[in-house]
Amino acid sequence: MNGIRWSYAINQWKPQFDDFVRREQHERALKTISIAGFEGVELTYGTGRWEPLGNPQQLAANFGSVAGFRDFVRGCALDAVSSWYWDPAERSMEHLTGPLSPLAEADVPAIVARATELAEALAALGGSVLLVRPVGGAGDVEPLDDDAIGRLAACWEAVGRATSEHGVRTALHVDFLSALRRDHVPRLLDRTDPSLVGLAVDTGELTAGGIDPVSVIERSGDRVWHVQFKDALAVDDAEEYLQPHAHWTVRVRGGAREVPRWFAEPGVDGGLVDFAAVTRALQAADYDGWIVVESDQSPHPAASALLAGYLVQRELRPLVEGKEAA
Amino acid sequence: MSDERAIKWSYMDHWRSNGPAGPVDQWHSHRTMSAFLKQIKAVGFDAIDTFDFRIWQMYGDYGGPAKYQEMVQDHGLERIVNTFHAADYDVRNYAPHLPETHENILEDFRVTMGRWSEIELDNIIVMPATLYYDMEPVTEDKLKYSAECWNKVGEITAGSGVRLTCHHEFFCGIQSEPDIDTFYSYTDPRYVSLFVDTAQHCIAGVDPVALYDRHAHRVSGFHFKDTRNVATGDDHRHRPDSEIMAPTTGKWFHEMGTDQGLVDFAAMMTAVRDNGYRGWISVEHDKANKEGGDYSESTAISRWYAKNVLEEIYR
Repeated sequence: MNGIRWSYAINQWKPQFDDFVRREQHERALKTISIAGFEGVELTYGTGRWEPLGNPQQLAANFGSVAGFRDFVRGCALDAVSSWYWDPAERSMEHLTGPLSPLAEADVPAIVARATELAEALAALGGSVLLVRPVGGAGDVEPLDDDAIGRLAACWEAVGRATSEHGVRTALHVDFLSALRRDHVPRLLDRTDPSLVGLAVDTGELTAGGIDPVSVIERSGDRVWHVQFKDALAVDDAEEYLQPHAHWTVRVRGGAREVPRWFAEPGVDGGLVDFAAVTRALQAADYDGWIVVESDQSPHPAASALLAGYLVQRELRPLVEGKEAA
Repeated sequence: MSDERAIKWSYMDHWRSNGPAGPVDQWHSHRTMSAFLKQIKAVGFDAIDTFDFRIWQMYGDYGGPAKYQEMVQDHGLERIVNTFHAADYDVRNYAPHLPETHENILEDFRVTMGRWSEIELDNIIVMPATLYYDMEPVTEDKLKYSAECWNKVGEITAGSGVRLTCHHEFFCGIQSEPDIDTFYSYTDPRYVSLFVDTAQHCIAGVDPVALYDRHAHRVSGFHFKDTRNVATGDDHRHRPDSEIMAPTTGKWFHEMGTDQGLVDFAAMMTAVRDNGYRGWISVEHDKANKEGGDYSESTAISRWYAKNVLEEIYR
């Protein structure tokens, strides 16, 4: 019996800030995730009153308490919130703080405190991994020299130490716009304590960044603490990620080509990721933990969840469990 | 698939998805069919139901019902369980309460059963009457003529090993409780069964649980779907159409598990258990896309409800 558990990311249900705010929408999404065969849900950090699932304060405001949200999740027949994605550059209306930078030593105490809050809530929700954006976009920060890598390592080690006190691991989520995209991930991993900091492999982000996720798993399999299965529909082969504000101009707007959709659920027509190969690589690396299936963006979230559920049930889970599909 | 379960779940194939040129149904292409079947399988349905008029696409696009069923099975689903015979009722040539149209109806079923002979169906489902306004006033004679028609049709379908079963839309001529009871008093239990559609009966002001309890020995299947509205005034006889054009209600049907649903599914499932029913329950959410609904989501929510609520009562 392996220890892989399957979860689904909630982010595809909230394309705009005023979407997906009502309780019945949350209920329908969680039930959809459950009946598609997943046992957990991954949350994405957000702030303010239109982000009811964005942070512990908003969970309490909407569900009475974090425990109240846990009961709501379980009432939808899901076991846990597997994980939470957080970018410290996102402001916090609850704390009246702006963007925090892991490159700025002065911000580290606040980053650690915020991560601790998320980890504490996550633990109460049955989760085990806090995914963090380890640094800003390549076009938005200075080139990462050894000193910068050292500061990042120190920040995330401090975060990892703090979250581990709640039984939550800290995993670095490197997206296709990241300043770490090129060769810096191994450098950062080498500078961090393997007992405090791990890697989140996002198949779609890596592929969109021109990086083969299988090669990452083969090279750093012992550091993989979290996996996201999402497909990529395009590759940033023109290296537009180096532009400033690429989060908007490239990720959202699609860059010079106006790519309409970078990401989709695994198995989508035209998808570039070989999920069977990734799954086998994870098995070879003895991966043990959550695999969070993601569409990230979807014009039809329920269909995306169900189609992904089919792929997991009929192809990927049987690979993991070593048996034929039912 | 466990053979120990008393109940298996089939999905009645109303479906729309969004293509680049606008909404399409699953029969649009092999790709859209595959996406449909994957979603049905992903949420745990065991099989599908379909419509008779899909037979042409089965022959044209897949090489016939048997070949199409192979595709269904390749997606991990068991088979096609039932087909719904959506006839073009017309008092000039196809009206069960008018004996002079019966031979045309019988011939239709002789041909239809031949078309389906490649595969084994459980039921062929019919609306047993014309639209209400084409049959009113509903008299005992008209109910008797209708029963005679379906007795003969049922004998034809039984010859192919398929049960003829009646599905009483709220807008058809046989939809009130006394008319339904009279109709079944004239039909032969060997040849005519009842197919309980929880929403249709509810809309017609008939308690589906009580109706089922009364006719349980004649019931050969179910459509489990919900509604939020009971028909009022002339809803059931609205010209030219009640189902999607009644002024009072833009969307009659909702998936199981919907808020404000009028069907008591817990009571229904308890009755299914207590009557010792074993076999298929079909789930549908006919026209789920009306007023902004989404078929994939409705399918997920209804199957979630079946698994997490109804299967706790009986499985």
